[in-house]
Amino acid sequence: MANSTIPLRNITSTGGTDTTSMTRRSFVKNTSGVSAASLLGTAALMTNSDEAQANTEWAEWFQGNYRLMSDDEKQEAVVRLERRYSSEYGKKVSVDTKPAEEGVLFGYALNIQKCIGCRRCAKACVEENNQSRGDQEIEWIRVLKMEKGGFDETKMGEGYPDGYGIEIGGNAYSAAGVVGEGEHYYDPKLVPEEDFFYMPIACMQCEKPPCVKVCPVRTTYREPDGIVVVDYNWCIGCRMCIGACPYWARRFNWGEPKLAKEDMNPETHYLGNRPRMKGVVEKCTFCLQRTRNGRYPACVEVCPVGARKFGNLLDPESEVRRVLANKRVFRMKADLNTYPKFFYYID
Amino acid sequence: MPDTREPLNVFAERAEYWGLPVMTAAVAMLLAILSGQAQAQAREICFESRENASAVVVTEVEEGLPNVKCSEKTGGVLWWGDPYDGTVPMGDMPIEADYSQGEAVVMPRDSQLNLPPACGTACHNGTFPPPNNDNTPRQLTIHMDMVPDALNLQHGRGSIWCLDCHNPEVRNKFIDHAGDEIDFNQPQKLCGACHGPLYKDWRAGIHGKRIGEWASTGKKRWFVCTECHNPHDVQQGERNSGFAQLVPEAPPQLPRGMKNADHERPPH
Amino acid sequence: MKNIVSFCIDYVLYLWKGGIKYWAWLGFLWIFVLFWAYGNYLQLSEGMIVTGLTDQVSWGLYLANFVFLVGVAAGAVTVVFPAYVYKHQALHDVTVLGEMLAIAAVVMCMLFVLNHMGRPDRLWHMVPIIGIYNFPGSMLGWDVIVLIGYLLLNVVGGFYYLYKKYTGEPLNNNIYLPIIYVAIVWALSIHTVTAFLISTMPARPMWHVGMMPIRFITTAFAAGPALIIIVFSIIRNNTKLWIKDEAINLLSQIVVWCLGIALFLTLSEVVTEFYHPTEHSLGLQYLMFGHNGLTKLVPWFWASMIGMVGAFVLLLIPWVRKDYHLLPWVCGVAFIAIWIEKGMGLMIPGSIPTPIGEYVEYSPSWVEIFNSLGNWAIGFIVLTILLKGAIGILLGEVSLSNHSKQASDTAADDVKKVRYADA
Repeated sequence: MANSTIPLRNITSTGGTDTTSMTRRSFVKNTSGVSAASLLGTAALMTNSDEAQANTEWAEWFQGNYRLMSDDEKQEAVVRLERRYSSEYGKKVSVDTKPAEEGVLFGYALNIQKCIGCRRCAKACVEENNQSRGDQEIEWIRVLKMEKGGFDETKMGEGYPDGYGIEIGGNAYSAAGVVGEGEHYYDPKLVPEEDFFYMPIACMQCEKPPCVKVCPVRTTYREPDGIVVVDYNWCIGCRMCIGACPYWARRFNWGEPKLAKEDMNPETHYLGNRPRMKGVVEKCTFCLQRTRNGRYPACVEVCPVGARKFGNLLDPESEVRRVLANKRVFRMKADLNTYPKFFYYID
Repeated sequence: MPDTREPLNVFAERAEYWGLPVMTAAVAMLLAILSGQAQAQAREICFESRENASAVVVTEVEEGLPNVKCSEKTGGVLWWGDPYDGTVPMGDMPIEADYSQGEAVVMPRDSQLNLPPACGTACHNGTFPPPNNDNTPRQLTIHMDMVPDALNLQHGRGSIWCLDCHNPEVRNKFIDHAGDEIDFNQPQKLCGACHGPLYKDWRAGIHGKRIGEWASTGKKRWFVCTECHNPHDVQQGERNSGFAQLVPEAPPQLPRGMKNADHERPPH
Repeated sequence: MKNIVSFCIDYVLYLWKGGIKYWAWLGFLWIFVLFWAYGNYLQLSEGMIVTGLTDQVSWGLYLANFVFLVGVAAGAVTVVFPAYVYKHQALHDVTVLGEMLAIAAVVMCMLFVLNHMGRPDRLWHMVPIIGIYNFPGSMLGWDVIVLIGYLLLNVVGGFYYLYKKYTGEPLNNNIYLPIIYVAIVWALSIHTVTAFLISTMPARPMWHVGMMPIRFITTAFAAGPALIIIVFSIIRNNTKLWIKDEAINLLSQIVVWCLGIALFLTLSEVVTEFYHPTEHSLGLQYLMFGHNGLTKLVPWFWASMIGMVGAFVLLLIPWVRKDYHLLPWVCGVAFIAIWIEKGMGLMIPGSIPTPIGEYVEYSPSWVEIFNSLGNWAIGFIVLTILLKGAIGILLGEVSLSNHSKQASDTAADDVKKVRYADA
């Protein structure tokens, strides 16, 4: 196991609970028997891949809903997946099943005043989460460019006169931050541009997620740490959840996902960034595979302006709780009563 | 009292001694070599937060695991494999940090100064030219890449100048109001003296950037002020909120069936 | 038991007896089924990427047709309800035809839902016990229940009636009437639940309106009987079964009033949304006028409005309703107009703009169009077969007393055919 790739090699237990600082390595060690088996399986697959592949897919097809699987069944599924992914992507792929940690409720805060609209978060997310690339590109984060708006003296005459020439309304303003007027495909030479601000949108990990309610097979559900996940193997692709999400946070694999071997991130979680199949829905999981092992989500780390804050909402000392305590925050579409755990804030 | 308009020209005084033409040629060659390397390994070096401020060389920290991945389009870091690569504990810094919890590391800033050897032996060891404590604005003849117009420094709206922050004697250090040295690795000590509320937020972790572990007790790499902000030109017109403009990453793919996004920009 | 077997045999054998028109019609429909087969092969092998759907507009032509056809299925109750609640004799005679239409419509609904699904191979995940059935939480779960229930009610009710006609025995009203009355209420439920499917989504303001179920039901009770009038006219002109004028008269009354109410509801919504337009009216604005040059749906909307208003005005005129040559055409216009209104006019703009304000135009791909046409064709094949047998039984051509005679005739025919093929 010495050569397994562990991004957290320098993370040691510097405090926090034991589970927080449990690294991937120690996790792998705990289940070393299984991983050895999966390695052997990989070797077997290399020699006789077609038949083994077919068997694997057949077995996956009969798999139950992840949440209802016994530990043994989960382990079996993980071994199967690790074997298949390792052979498909030509490297040792690990599939984590680490459950939610007690006393943790993940939350996110984004400083909308700081965001410069560089979209590095959106691309980092793709690097981390094994989304489809090329002509079937999937991005979980969408950054909107919004006009700051203002009042224009030259438009003072353009009111709404009624029959008596009495103005009953005016046109002198240009609206600020109208969602319908946000630009999704802006591409200037440099950002931020003057007179614009930027609003990144991704899954809000709602406490009352409308998407979970509508799922006919309960393939998408809220984990105890507050993350709304999808069991990709159980999803029937009805896209009710896409219709129900008020934040347009869910994406569908319209074709077979295109993920090149060299782009594939081998550190995966069953409910997170493991490679998906065609015809299923996927979404942001706050980088479950990282955050459950202590790391910040990829988008937080890559934001060049430090606009993204992440942490445990149950810990008053966490960055996200300090934002809630010290800054003015708002949640997107709070009127819909979805209770997002994603907060926008300004200094 | 010297003439305030006299250029602070260290080279002019001993030009004959240093042999200015030789020096210029040497610097030019060095620059050529450096830029040549940068070009050959375009995707092997990327910048962290601020372009031209802190470059990261892509290395493999473990088999198959790079320390960072770079954006092919913009050259910025797109993914952190190892958030602590090349860092040193903040506690080992010459000036002890005063935040409370968690293990904190920082990337040493003084190594980013990238001084050619000549600078260290000539001026930056503090011996030459003789220290001049006069802080009256005057034109510079060196470091004009950083501050092109020293009479109109783009920081502090005319109320501060170079030597308010830079130590005239120990030139690889800053200086605080009491005249004590501040390490380049700890610019927050200096910046925080004026920008109090921001310093407070930074220490609380809600201003600025940290990477590593999310737990409040976890190990994090703290980004210090100058890793994101260039203190020499925070006020320039095209700057926004004190942060330099960047090349954005590519827009998302247009949905199938859409040829362009012109409808997003109607003629006003 | 023996009678049931002979019923099945006679029913199937009767299907093979038809004129040139009958076979030409079925052949015509089978052409679409060929394209459908290829389209489905493409969609199953390549994925939904062969459709025009996107993450932005992820509910398209398939679901639009589904919603419309649920209405058509529910519309069959306009035959059953007057017949059994108001004892309308003319409709009472042909109630079973309405039930057959309902069966065909539900079959089409199911085909469209299967087409809409990204992983039809995992349908078993919805089956209780082996899978998980999110009930009562998921509206889609309710929809599956009411649709399957409605299908069963109509199959059982319809075929029980036909079987009793076939054997000549009297109906056991203790069995039959409860089925009929439950089916009447159930018909309302299928369209109500389908309306709830979309109206319970605050994410989509265009759908998130309380009048959605009643809008659905009024359009359903216009489109359903409009189709039934067309079918009845075809039956009157092409078979020996004479459907009385009174039956058609009542149905055309129902069409005109439901069409009127539907228009009234549409108007109410337009007034509400446009008196002081909010961001919630963006979908309707896009539908009616387009957005910054994106105008693909605009002609559909106005065509549908002209069709609905035109049909309504024409049907208000008594002599138009009594002109049984003109009436089917007017009903055809109403049917298509409602199809547009509910499909392209309601399902698509519900997604445009997206919940975060992105405008995307959607047009179905050829695969989607072929698959949809194929689903309709299969539905009409089912309808044709069901009606053919039902008419045969109603006419008395298929009955237990004719059983032995028919069987021997057809057996002889078959022998001849086989010999011919051998030669």
